[in-house]
Amino acid sequence: MIATGVLKAEWTKFSSIRATMVLSLAVVAASGFFGWTFANMAAHEYATASAQERLDFLPLDQVMRGMLLVQLLISALGVLVATSEYGSGTLGPSLAAVGRRSRLVIAKAGMTALVALPVSVAGIGLMFVTSQVTLAAQGAPYLMPGDPDALLALLLGPVVFTLLALFGLALGLLLRGTAAAVNVSSTFLLMPVLAPIFPDFLSRLLTTYWPNGAGFRAVTSRSDLPPVLSFGLLVGFVAVMHIAAFTRFARRDA
Amino acid sequence: MIQLTALTKRYGDKTAVDDLTLLVRPGVVTGFLGPNGAGKSTTMRMILGLDLPTSGTATINGRAHHELPHPLRTIGSMLDARAAHPRRTAYKHLLYQAQTNAIPATRVDEVLDLVGLTEVAGKPAGSFSMGMTQRLGIAAALLGDPPVLVLDEPVNGLDPEGVRWIRALMRGLAAEGRTVLISSHLMSEMAMTADRLVVIGKGRLIAEGEIGDFTAAGSAVAVRTPESGVFARLLELAGAHVRPGPDDELLVTGMEAADVGRLAAAEGVTLFELSVRHASLEETFMELTRDAAEYGAAR
Repeated sequence: MIATGVLKAEWTKFSSIRATMVLSLAVVAASGFFGWTFANMAAHEYATASAQERLDFLPLDQVMRGMLLVQLLISALGVLVATSEYGSGTLGPSLAAVGRRSRLVIAKAGMTALVALPVSVAGIGLMFVTSQVTLAAQGAPYLMPGDPDALLALLLGPVVFTLLALFGLALGLLLRGTAAAVNVSSTFLLMPVLAPIFPDFLSRLLTTYWPNGAGFRAVTSRSDLPPVLSFGLLVGFVAVMHIAAFTRFARRDA
Repeated sequence: MIQLTALTKRYGDKTAVDDLTLLVRPGVVTGFLGPNGAGKSTTMRMILGLDLPTSGTATINGRAHHELPHPLRTIGSMLDARAAHPRRTAYKHLLYQAQTNAIPATRVDEVLDLVGLTEVAGKPAGSFSMGMTQRLGIAAALLGDPPVLVLDEPVNGLDPEGVRWIRALMRGLAAEGRTVLISSHLMSEMAMTADRLVVIGKGRLIAEGEIGDFTAAGSAVAVRTPESGVFARLLELAGAHVRPGPDDELLVTGMEAADVGRLAAAEGVTLFELSVRHASLEETFMELTRDAAEYGAAR
């Protein structure tokens, strides 16, 4: 059960410091920006492509690659929900006020999800709009939001982002410091991006089974696994992280 | 009421709090005294559920902290007044704590007014002076109008006027029947504020009682006589305890001044001086905690 008062308090904490609010806006702004830049690149390639290459052109895959960068911001957002308390020493007062520790963790997870979801919907929506408008303006093929591939990205993408914010929260609770948690989170999340530099089998493993890679594959429906399984992999991973974070949090001196 | 039962906290092989059993009663201000590192803060953190005891229990009005549905309405605390986000306004700092316990926002205004921070409610806590920060911490402790208060070094950083204010506040709260536990490493400060004292050192209970008991325990009868060697032996034979004081005087404990005088008259000993010395609480405290001081200067 989420105690609504504790949840409200989490929102007050979140909304009353600048870093978290700025980061939320940055997610949306960066999404729009990357949608535009990657679409410009794609449109340029399309303009100089051969007839065969033009047939294979996918108007969504390339331009939504900005998600691989924006994921770092959304995860950092989750990190801050935990570490802004450790950094300023307010975890003591917060725990003294809330009492049972599970109540605080559940409220933090709930608040993170409730903020990350609309922020992700706005970010990915904006990325889609800027990218497709840019493609259309430069005469490249583009998708309308009603297209099945587009719908999948617009609906499932924000859910993947929200799960990555929750991943950030779990890391923040475990590592108790913004710098440490953001570094670990970024390194972890960039692994699938680095996949091409690894040997083939490792690269395949990373893009198919690495939790956030699997999540993105489910969004773009390009996975070797059924999308439900890819997506389930990410959900399961985040759940395990939260169980670990909570178990540690419940037994540790604050 | 706060009840500690065999409360123990170990960090590795270091024992911070050692088998502490204690009842902190309502209606009086209880001073929690000990040298730095004696385990005062750790004890308070265990009462508030921030540190988990290695063994033993701490209850507040019969319940452990994590069992309280709305902790702030039972126990208010200030362990570290600086524990506020520097960018968050004083108002929001209090508001979020109020929300966790379903305390109405109007109460935030009330406590801000009570501690005199109404005018700076919209300023970030990071811009506050030490005294204002301390007042903000007190405001947070009072949010839930709690029957039990735990404050770690509450007068730290306050100016003389602020110190007087907080003393009056603590005494007033205790007079309303609340349990008030405040820690300090300064005996003289406690002498002005507390009704009861609990002294700990190296995590163990050293002494406990009314303030008066401590001054009485520290008092002695001072005697100056030209025949100090002989008279000291006579006093000891009569059951008193004698130790040498400054300026050739004898400090006698375990015997009233009147009886010392009678003994001198009966034995024909000339006395130059006979007086009662009340040791200051500070001296008593130093005496009590000498062996338990964690970091003692070389003597």
